[in-house]
Amino acid sequence: MKCSICQREALHNGFCELHAKAYENIVKKYEFWKKALNISWKEYLREVAKNPFTGEWAKEVAEHLIKTSGEQSGT
Amino acid sequence: MERYTLIITEKPDAAYRIASALDLNGKAKKVEDNGVPYYVAERDKPIVVVPAIGHLYTVAEENIGRNYYPVFNFRWVPRYIAERGAKQIRVWLETISKLAQGADTYIDACDYDIEGSIIGYCILKYACGGKENVARRMKYSTLTKEELEQAYEKPLPKLDFALIEAGRTRHEVDWLYGVNLTRALTLAAKDWSGKYATLSTGRVQGPTLRFLVAREKAIRSFVPTPYWEIKAEIEIDGKIFEAEYERDVIETKGEVEAVLSACKGNDGIVESIEEKRFQQMPPTPFDIGALQSEAYSLFGYTPRRTLDIAQRLYLDALISYPRTSSQKLPPAINYEGILKSLSAVPEYNRFAAELLAKKELKPNEGKKEDPAHPAIYPTGNLPERILEEPERRIWDLVVRRFMAVFGEPAIRQSVKVCVNVNGHRFILRGRQTIKEGWLRFYEPYVRAEEVLLPRIEKGQQLRIVRVISEDKFTKPPPRYNPGSLLRKMEEVGIGTKATRADIIQTLYDRKYVRDERMVVTDLGFEVLEVLKRHCPTIVSIKLTRNLEERMDKIQANLEKRENVLSDVIEILKPVVEELKSKENIIGEQLSKAVRKARLEERIIGQCPICGTGTLMVLYSRKTGKRFIGCTNYFKKKCNAAFPLPQRGFVRPLGKKCPKCGWPTVHIRIKGKRPWNLCFNPGCPSKEDRT
Repeated sequence: MKCSICQREALHNGFCELHAKAYENIVKKYEFWKKALNISWKEYLREVAKNPFTGEWAKEVAEHLIKTSGEQSGT
Repeated sequence: MERYTLIITEKPDAAYRIASALDLNGKAKKVEDNGVPYYVAERDKPIVVVPAIGHLYTVAEENIGRNYYPVFNFRWVPRYIAERGAKQIRVWLETISKLAQGADTYIDACDYDIEGSIIGYCILKYACGGKENVARRMKYSTLTKEELEQAYEKPLPKLDFALIEAGRTRHEVDWLYGVNLTRALTLAAKDWSGKYATLSTGRVQGPTLRFLVAREKAIRSFVPTPYWEIKAEIEIDGKIFEAEYERDVIETKGEVEAVLSACKGNDGIVESIEEKRFQQMPPTPFDIGALQSEAYSLFGYTPRRTLDIAQRLYLDALISYPRTSSQKLPPAINYEGILKSLSAVPEYNRFAAELLAKKELKPNEGKKEDPAHPAIYPTGNLPERILEEPERRIWDLVVRRFMAVFGEPAIRQSVKVCVNVNGHRFILRGRQTIKEGWLRFYEPYVRAEEVLLPRIEKGQQLRIVRVISEDKFTKPPPRYNPGSLLRKMEEVGIGTKATRADIIQTLYDRKYVRDERMVVTDLGFEVLEVLKRHCPTIVSIKLTRNLEERMDKIQANLEKRENVLSDVIEILKPVVEELKSKENIIGEQLSKAVRKARLEERIIGQCPICGTGTLMVLYSRKTGKRFIGCTNYFKKKCNAAFPLPQRGFVRPLGKKCPKCGWPTVHIRIKGKRPWNLCFNPGCPSKEDRT
């Protein structure tokens, strides 16, 4: 199976090793954002996608999750 | 001509300096044989000084051919046998051999380090007919007349064979790594795609790329977190001062609002005032790594460039030998003499006089030592030619640093005023220099931040103009630049002071990284991925450092060259076998990455005419000329086409033109200054020029 974003081999959650790490970071950091701004998962993804400090792969994952109306695992 | 002393140097400039210093009249005679220069000096007996041009011998495989691996049998050969484009070396060696026949005494005067020792050893052994065991060794750290005369009069009785052995091993180990791994990668890609591209890696190059990839991954998968900072503007004696909130970081918006609301409309009371005095010690003398880092942060020079400039200054006898890891300045270099000579320069006169007036000159030395050379210092000689701006800057930096290390510690005072605003504390900070000490010797390369606070007393009531919050986000780790990467290599102990800058440059040359703030390319990722997956030992930092340590031990006679070489072959054998067995998969992975990298190099940006196509560097089928065209042309949707210079190298700049917003390209033509080009014919920047 290919990664949902690039053409690399998918390893976890439909992402390649590189995008899977970015996905993991996105999930992990949501707790901080929720505590800081009390925002929903979708609002959070939009904020992450437009933030200039977000890394390229994390941005791609956030945009992909927005497009596929991504659900955070476990939420 | 009667029998003479033959002196061998590493470079022609050094030969000229040495011959001039040793000639009784200071004017050695320059002779040329087949275009090879050498110098004849008259002293107690004639002296012939012949230069090398760096390494004249190299490691090569015993059998001929480049398209096979593994290769574990090697020998030392003249470079013209192993390398294309090194024909000049043959003539050079013929001249040296001819000159060796007329000599009765042989002196190796190459730079006193690993590389210099091997250069001299190989020439004496192979070109001079086995004179390595009878030759003497000149040891010097500057090319000044006094030191060269002394080194000639009191040479070391024999070559430093331990240093040579360590150097030989290093070259052989690096060759074994480089040739086997580079061929494995390059041939895998070539056999799969039919196209040739050099894909190199090496003992130090692989682990260095690994640092960069790890950092790149951290940056690209980084997710920032929000936080806030709170500041209060406080009025004191009609002036506004900014004070920081007692907590640097506030993690929730709710807390921020609570603080702002509590402070609103309240004055502040000075709760405490703390004053601290502290000493700021002078810097330590420059070793090559510190000079490269400092030159990068001050002037933006890459480590390679700084090393080249320092080497030129050394050959001009303006500074001491730069490839040193020492932070020590022994009294034997004659501090006083150097300062006296430097005082002839108006800019240094005042500082040199001040230091000379001190009772004792004692440098603030660092811990690092180098058995062969002291730290980098100015010789006291003044330029005999007009230095180019980069040379002048590095020389000035070395001179001021040299003076600064003898300076007194600077004394600074910090003041911390705590202001309570309705239960919330804000900190006002002041900083001031009480005694400049060494700081003034090192200006303009150091500046102490001065923040002077007015007189404030405990219990004083202060008007709070406003309390504000700033939205912040955590930032990704910084990218390495050539300077910080060099420091990282030093810190983990991989590579040597002589090779690190070249290794960084190779990463650029192979297109594994780009830009000053180093970005790993897809090709860089793929190469490391292949190495990590199929031969993790090769990119192991621990293994690389361990090998460095063992090679250092050879230098100290604590390890044997044969043991290190046989262990290296044992490490490489299974690795190369693994690479060979997976040649097809590796070839496909690397070929795709090379193809992508080549394609990316041609992509300029989005087409500003149609808005949907991509502008690329294309080649006309009819004329073969290159131009910038839109990919939508092939769909007959866009006709955008722009001319390009037909010579030189074109690279997308990745930046938009500040005047018109179109993508821009960087053009580099040999012999011309590179320039950035906006190819929009209607760009206002073009009107500005007319």
